[in-house]
Order: sequence, then C-alpha cells, then structure tokens
Amino acid sequence: MPKTSQSAKLAPISTISPPAADEVRIPISCDVDIVKARQAGRRLAEDVGFVFTELALIATAISELARNIVRYAKSGEIAIRPITNSARRGIQIVALDRGPGIRDVEQALQIGFSTAGGLGLGLPGVRRLMDEFDIQSKLGQGTTVRITKWKD
Amino acid sequence: MRMASATKPRSRSLLRAYQAAMCEYVKKPREAGLERAYELGRRALEQGAAMVDVAGIYHHALVAVLQRTKEPLECVRKTRVAGNFFVESLSPFEMTYRGHHEAQAALRQLNEGMEAEAKRIAHALHDEAGQLLTNVHFALERLADVLPPCSQPLIEDVRFRLAEMEGQLRRLSHELRPPMLDLLGLVPALQFLAQGVTQRSGIEVVVQGSTPERLSPLVETALYRSVQEALTNVTKHAKASNVTVQVQRQKSEKDAMVVCSVKDDGVGFEIQPLSGEQPRHGLGLLGIRERIKAVAGSLELKSAPGLGTELCIQVPLNT
Repeated sequence: MPKTSQSAKLAPISTISPPAADEVRIPISCDVDIVKARQAGRRLAEDVGFVFTELALIATAISELARNIVRYAKSGEIAIRPITNSARRGIQIVALDRGPGIRDVEQALQIGFSTAGGLGLGLPGVRRLMDEFDIQSKLGQGTTVRITKWKD
Repeated sequence: MRMASATKPRSRSLLRAYQAAMCEYVKKPREAGLERAYELGRRALEQGAAMVDVAGIYHHALVAVLQRTKEPLECVRKTRVAGNFFVESLSPFEMTYRGHHEAQAALRQLNEGMEAEAKRIAHALHDEAGQLLTNVHFALERLADVLPPCSQPLIEDVRFRLAEMEGQLRRLSHELRPPMLDLLGLVPALQFLAQGVTQRSGIEVVVQGSTPERLSPLVETALYRSVQEALTNVTKHAKASNVTVQVQRQKSEKDAMVVCSVKDDGVGFEIQPLSGEQPRHGLGLLGIRERIKAVAGSLELKSAPGLGTELCIQVPLNT
C-alpha cells in the first residue's frame, strides 16, 4: 500500500509544483489532451530509466487522472517532472483542477465508491500503481492529486 | 469457459475494435494508439472480461496483423509493436489485480479478527455465564433447605432446567469456537457440530471422511465456518431430513486439495447464474464464498427444485 496523505486545505499552485526546468505542463480539457499528457509522461519516465511495462502503468495512471479532470472538472492541468532524492530517481505527476472538488476524499479512495472504483480503477487504482499518493480537495474549489513513482 | 465469451456479441465488437486499433497502431505507432489500447482494456474490464479474454483477443488481432506480411524482419517489428499495444491494454487489469490482492488481505484479517472475537465470546459464555449459573445452583440448594418438603418436586424441576441450560450453554460456546477444532482437527469438530444441529433441529446430519493429517488452522477454520453456515442454511430453508457432510483429501500429480461437501435431501431451489438477485439464503452463501476465497479455494453450488442442495468446496493445500 503506497503512502497516502490527505489534507482539506488546497495549496496554491506555486507551492504544489515549484517551477522546474524539466517540468512539462499540459492543459487538460479533452481526450486529445489526455494523449498529450500520456506522451509527455512516457517520455520523461523513459529518461528516468523506467522500462516499458512500467511506462504502461505510468501512462495508465496519467490517463485515469486526466480522465477524472475531463469528466468531473471539465478542465485542468497535469504537470509532470522527473525528481530525485538522495537514493533514487523517480517521476512525479500533479493533476490539478478547479472543478467541484470531492466531498469525501476518504470515501473516494475506497473500492466500490464509484463504478470505476468498484473495479479497482479510478483513484483507488491510481494509488495502487504508484509509490506515493497525495490528494487535496476542497468542495467548490477543486482537486489536486500528486503521485510519485520511484525507480528502484 | 472464459474463451467461449469471445463469441458473445459484446466481445465480438470488442474484438473488432481491438483488432482495428492494433492494426492502426502497428502502421502508426503513436501515443494515441496506446491510449486507445488502454481504453479498450478498460472497456473489456468493465464488460467483465478476464485477462485471458484480452490475451485471446490480442492473439486474434496479431494473426490478422501478420497475415499479409511476408518479410520476416517486418513480422518481427510488427510483433514487437503489437506487444507494446498488448501490454498497454492489460494495464487497467494490473490496477484491479493489485486492488484484489489488498482486498483479499483485508478479508483474511477481518476473518482472523472475527475468529478471535468468537473465541473471546465463547470463553465468556463458558466461564462467566457458567459461573453465574453455578451461583444460582448454590442459591437453589439453600432455598431447598428452608422450603417445606412439598415444594421439593418444584425445586427438582428448576434444578433439571438449570442443568439443561448449562449443557446448552456449554454446547453453544463450544460451537462458537470449538476447542475441538484446535485440539483434534476438522472432522471431530464437524461431528460435534453435527450432533448439536441434529439435537436442535431433528435433521439427521452425518459427517463422513477424514484427513490423514491436520490442515492449516486457516483452512480448518474456513471449512468449519463454511459447513456451519451451510448447515444453518439447511435448517432454515431446505426442509431436509438428512444431511451428509463429507471431507476428503484429494491428491493429483501436481497439488493436493481438500474437498468438503454438504448435501441435503431438502426442497432445493432454482440457481440463478450471475444474477444480482439471489434468493434470501444467498447471503449466507456469500459469507462462505468470501471465506473460501480468502484461502484460495473455490466452491460450487448444485441445486434444483425438489432435488436437494449440494455445496462443494475445494481448497488447495499448498498455500
């Protein structure tokens, strides 16, 4: 089970994703944008050193997040960047929207909350594909999901 | 059984879409094609397809893609590109698979918690309620000493009822968490359970079979609870007069498994396959299914109106 943290406060964009030189940001509002985000994510993840099966899972996570934006918030943004800590390299993806927000985040992460969730897709599915998962949502203000996958 | 679903209309439309998308991707390997693969995998999942169904569909599609390709190197390239498409379409299944694992672990934990709780209640019933009853016995004896002789038959009647209650309490506490299950194993515990059911309901319950050696505690508990639940179902719904419980160890070349069946001669019922609306006794069955799933086993329910009901459980022993 990946690390999960939640907080009700929605941080301003600047603190969520400090600008990085190799960061890619893709505005999301339709299916074509989902493809762009996947492509960008796959390219960056490949540079980090992920193998092709891992790339498929990363692209899938991006798809699920981007799908949620298109479906629930109509528009938003996905930012992708390579990250490093002392030991490892990885990739971080931040999906951000100013949509209706999620009433009960805890519940949204449960299997069976939505149709997609019932199959283990959607947010619960994304959380399982990643090493770290962080979600902040406020009703009427929007949702930010930040996910990280480390290269072992 | 699963592969047969490839001929269902919905699967056929999935097959056509998959084949078209893969052909397109092999011609033009772009992200949009992989996104399509992922969407198709998701659609397959939502339609209830299994991973092997997708593998079958991929195989069909690959054959179609390679059909008119003569050049060997081109075949290799196409196969490799198609492989990427395939992996992408399986990705949604990976999400579900991981969730399933987690759910299974949670379920096992829940069952273990319930067992511990049943043990606690069984002890409380046996020790504490038993102690209280003993106190009542003493009080009754004191009362008997001071009451006139003509009330002795009444005292005797109360004594008899108290003893009966004590016996019933002990039996219930033992069934709740049979010490026998831990001490002697599955079959003796089931025999004890069967006696209790016969006593209470008048249904003749026979337990047959044996297991040469002890099974793992997890498997023993899962089977005991499943038979217990099945017998409860029989007494509640089946209108049966005989029940046979059979426990057998089966060994094939590769793996050993224990097979446990509960068969009654009651009214039976119409089994509605895969429909959400199960008859009321479906709820107990759901509990059994979950328990058996948690030890990687499988179960089969056979019944028809007027023909009784048989529940057959198989649990592999290598886990």
